[in-house]
Amino acid sequence: MTETPIRSIADEQESLEANLKDEILRMYDEVAEQPDGDFHFYHGRDAAERFGYDPALLDRAAPGAVASFAGVGCPHERSRVEEGMTVLDLGSGAGLDGILASWATGPSGHVIGVDMNPAMLQRAALHAEASGARIEVREGRMEDIPVEDDSVDVAISNGVINLSFRKRRVLRELFRVLKPGGRISITDIVSAKQLSQSIVNDPKLWAS
Amino acid sequence: MFALLEQAGFRRVKSVVVPGFRFRNQGTQNSAEAYGVKAVLFTAEKPME
Repeated sequence: MTETPIRSIADEQESLEANLKDEILRMYDEVAEQPDGDFHFYHGRDAAERFGYDPALLDRAAPGAVASFAGVGCPHERSRVEEGMTVLDLGSGAGLDGILASWATGPSGHVIGVDMNPAMLQRAALHAEASGARIEVREGRMEDIPVEDDSVDVAISNGVINLSFRKRRVLRELFRVLKPGGRISITDIVSAKQLSQSIVNDPKLWAS
Repeated sequence: MFALLEQAGFRRVKSVVVPGFRFRNQGTQNSAEAYGVKAVLFTAEKPME
């Protein structure tokens, strides 16, 4: 008897997810290691200024954090982070958004950066230290956020959730970790039309 | 995404298009426009109860 189609679709998705994870890790490593490289997307200071980040804050942040920035907008624009708050930066990358959040929360606040890439977490911690900021970095996936229930005042994220095959689960996880009355401010890529199967099946296009 | 946020339980979901977003590579930008790809800033709240 042949395998059921449902199982075969699940297998296919699992394999695609594994490829996607590898491609995302490779792409973001490349941005961090070769910030002058040629990518499909704007990155670094050029991108941050384009999205409205305050140039004075970019001057104050560790140059490596700014050069490796690969977001798609400015989640701080409407995050209303205040002193003493607990902030989650989901997909914290090289740390720029976490650094800005840490400056806003001040010493009585707490910023948690979650990323699936251990090398990137290390970079974020170093960049935070060099910027006079504090980010607690935690390795984990956005589909299983390593953060306690009802513990976060504001969750920010920048160009990350679109990379997941399980967006419903990611959003449920964000809901779980937020305190009642807590909020999200996330920038991400959305598509008005269903993407073609050739795009969906190409991890390089997903990651870019 | 808007609907997914509401389904997850979020309330007061709002979205605004990020005006400066575009791809560097013109070919990628053209494809993105054909699919209506945009960068969007979403805000939403978890209800008190």
